[in-house]
Amino acid sequence: MDSKYTRVAIGVVVLVVAVVLLVVLSGGGDSEKTTKGVTTITIKDGKPVGGVAQLTYNEGEQVRFKVDSDVSDEVHMHGYDIMKDVEAGGSVSFDFPATIEGVFEAELEDRKEQILELTVNP
Amino acid sequence: MTLAVLLPLAHALVSRKDLPIPAWLFAWGASIVLIVSFFALSVAWRSPRFERDRWRPSGAALSRALLGYPAQVLCGAIGVFLLGLAVYAGLRGTGAPDRNFALTFLFVTCWLGFPLFSVVLGDVFRPFNPWRAIGRIVGGSFALIAGQRFAHLPYPRWLGRWPAAIGLLAFVWLEVVYGVSGGVTVGVSPNTAATALLVYSAYTLAMMAVFGVEEWCDGGEVFSVYFGMLSQLGVFAVEDGRLGRRMPLAASTHWATVPGSLAVVLASIASTSFDGAQEGAFKGAISSTFDWFSEAGLSLTASLRLTDTIFMLLCFGGVALVYLIGVRGMATVSGGPPLLKLRTGFAHTLIPIAFAYLVAHYFSLFVFQEQAQFTYLLSDPLGTATTNLFGTAEAGVDYKVLSANAIWYVQVAALVIGHVIGLTLAHDRATAYWGDYRQAARSQYWMLAVMVSFTCFGLYLLSAGNA
Repeated sequence: MDSKYTRVAIGVVVLVVAVVLLVVLSGGGDSEKTTKGVTTITIKDGKPVGGVAQLTYNEGEQVRFKVDSDVSDEVHMHGYDIMKDVEAGGSVSFDFPATIEGVFEAELEDRKEQILELTVNP
Repeated sequence: MTLAVLLPLAHALVSRKDLPIPAWLFAWGASIVLIVSFFALSVAWRSPRFERDRWRPSGAALSRALLGYPAQVLCGAIGVFLLGLAVYAGLRGTGAPDRNFALTFLFVTCWLGFPLFSVVLGDVFRPFNPWRAIGRIVGGSFALIAGQRFAHLPYPRWLGRWPAAIGLLAFVWLEVVYGVSGGVTVGVSPNTAATALLVYSAYTLAMMAVFGVEEWCDGGEVFSVYFGMLSQLGVFAVEDGRLGRRMPLAASTHWATVPGSLAVVLASIASTSFDGAQEGAFKGAISSTFDWFSEAGLSLTASLRLTDTIFMLLCFGGVALVYLIGVRGMATVSGGPPLLKLRTGFAHTLIPIAFAYLVAHYFSLFVFQEQAQFTYLLSDPLGTATTNLFGTAEAGVDYKVLSANAIWYVQVAALVIGHVIGLTLAHDRATAYWGDYRQAARSQYWMLAVMVSFTCFGLYLLSAGNA
């Protein structure tokens, strides 16, 4: 076996794989949907209806959501560290700019129940 | 069925999670890895360069200042004090993981900080090791009172670093698998961590009494062995009581000759992989295994712990299997040493990969949580909100210090650099083992495959695919 040709062949294969990887993965449309308007999260028996709400924004956009709760608790938006009390049967609104990139949770603080996952893309 | 809710420690401490690496960056990272690997094969040196550990002493005055008795006593005292503080805070402080000094100090400041300092500055854990300090004081006092040294049992050579490898898995198990339950697992509590530290202290001091302080630090003491392993990559080292410099990476070539060393480095890679994979790649499988156990009648906590333990061990098995297949492949290239020698002979080439995994996974956690460590956790270690020792108890973590892009680039750069260094060490070792240059290069196709698998798996764990 002539190792020089073997290596050239392997090199070609590696390059082809690399190029294919690049084209396939970076071509796969990254346009992530961002959340528009005000999202309402309904809390029933201390749990979010329909599971943990997923909100996605780009940095600089305005995060808007409302929590309608049938229990009294405190809604804590982690990372941004915003805390707001909510009465049983009441609702509380959040409206703040998405200034920190990353993935954050909002939870009912006393129940340790996650109700929202907020994603802020750069 | 019931949803398995596991809260890994990182989440209990830091409220900002990393965004997954976007597809285009993943593709770039993986492509660079492949291209770099190919060039490593074609443009490489033909005789070993790292095998000889050329150590040169630094100035004697500096050595005396940093290594003399006053410095030893001071460092040891600091180590013992901080261990005591962590245990006290864990037992007496708040149960809130993020407000208690113990968890952040143990799992972030020490567990992630010492690896970094070990690579950059050498084996800095050694002087601060609280158990070593206590062991030496007790041993010295005994010799003084009894007029003779304490008679230790000889440390069995076959035991090597095996106790440390098992201890390493146990430590990570405590961090990411064991949790206190209230229906859902909420991660390790400060109280549990403090209790574990006490148990570990008793065990370590007992083993030091049996085998001797330095002997146990070399083979059995988890933190000494683990941080010591990473210090092998760096430039600074102490030999014969003198501080000196050596060629980077060179020391690592002799590190794995002690039995059990391979298991230590594999355990390190496996535990980081598990921590990353449990939130993505393994999520479905973990969830169904958990359901299966809980339907079979186990409690939620027991099911979750059992499931995670199984997957952590699977991770270890998988990482070991990839490496062993690579070694087996290398053994088919004629002119090299026997399989057994190959197996330990290439173990050190995984140390840079292990470190790269660590940086890639925990870099942002470290940057965020160290802000807490040096502000409110320092001023109010117990988290009682009544003490404010340094006036920083009210401070918070600034999550804006790192942009998502900065984190991504550090992650990808760490993995790619770790990959290149791993390849460098492997190639160097091959030229030492195979006299014939071409055979050496041929053997390295196998190690190349091993490294590419680890690096691309590492990238994958951080990417959107694992989200």
